[in-house]
Amino acid sequence: MTDLYASTPFPIRDDLTAAHARAWARIARPGTWWDGAARVAIAAETRLAPSCALCRRRKEALSPLAIEGTHDSHSQLPEIVVEVVHRLRTDPGRLGERWYRGIVAHGLTEEQYVEIVSVVAHTVAIDTMARGLGLEVLPLPDPKPGSPSHYRPTGAKPGGAWVPWVEPADAGEVEAGIYPRDRLPANIMKAMSLVPAEVRSFFDLVTHQYLPGEVMRDFAREYRAISHAQIELLAARVSALNRCLY
Amino acid sequence: MLLRASGRTYDRTYDLAAVTGAADSAGGVPEGDQLVAFAEAVLGEDDAALAWARNALAAALGSPGLVDAAGVVGLFNAIDRVADATGIPLEPEKAAASADFRAALDLDRFAVADRI
Repeated sequence: MTDLYASTPFPIRDDLTAAHARAWARIARPGTWWDGAARVAIAAETRLAPSCALCRRRKEALSPLAIEGTHDSHSQLPEIVVEVVHRLRTDPGRLGERWYRGIVAHGLTEEQYVEIVSVVAHTVAIDTMARGLGLEVLPLPDPKPGSPSHYRPTGAKPGGAWVPWVEPADAGEVEAGIYPRDRLPANIMKAMSLVPAEVRSFFDLVTHQYLPGEVMRDFAREYRAISHAQIELLAARVSALNRCLY
Repeated sequence: MLLRASGRTYDRTYDLAAVTGAADSAGGVPEGDQLVAFAEAVLGEDDAALAWARNALAAALGSPGLVDAAGVVGLFNAIDRVADATGIPLEPEKAAASADFRAALDLDRFAVADRI
């Protein structure tokens, strides 16, 4: 896995290559609520979603909720999981709380939902970078055997988001270190704290594919081949295209 | 918000309308036109436009710059999904600091609270 990008026309930083290898390895392993096979299937479904006919019809509709049908899927994942993965991948800017509450009412637990969000996000981050560079997407990893841990933080409770989250003061031993010690965590860090392992994993990717948290606001020094201003212009333009206020 | 903060460090004012595509140029950020065109092409479906934008950005920034730009586009394409799927609100301090340009650019139309 360490020579993940050995034959690319553009040299990719070693730390970034290693971060992608770690992310891929984590997707293959049993998670907190899904086993390795399901996690890899979620990643595969993330890749299929853009070619789903139902998703395309919904994307063009005034309201995606008005269009019924069945997603194009080749996986054994439950239909409710496929719905989450496809909506997240193809139309995230119109996700609403009513839709989320409906997903939970139809049997997906909040913890399972958060882990799906994380696996989709990991896959999107890595695949979108590959598209930007004109590279083939990485082959999906082989799932590893084992059972999910089913760990739920005892301190998780409803906060400002749709999903419950862990406030720093409520973080237990297992959650230690998921938040910075010298400042309050941004809501994006708390967003997936219902499944702490996913916060650790995703922010490992953030650190190497964007910037480490402690230097995001260190505008006096540059840490990448592009400047802070260039990075933030890209970030803001992408978020506007995705219709994401956050 | 970090774009504006970055500009203040160097006593520069960037035109934040570039973020929504409402400006004619990329707001004064060096190589901003190529960066914006690249981000739009990566998220779009026109492979020829993407190849053109990739080559233009590589010519302007070199391979390391292109790689870092592709990484940032990929990462924010993912972060946006985490934010939208979990329904996190903007922190009060960020909401206050960004109120002026959110209003000027009508960005609040993207707020999760308004979606069903």
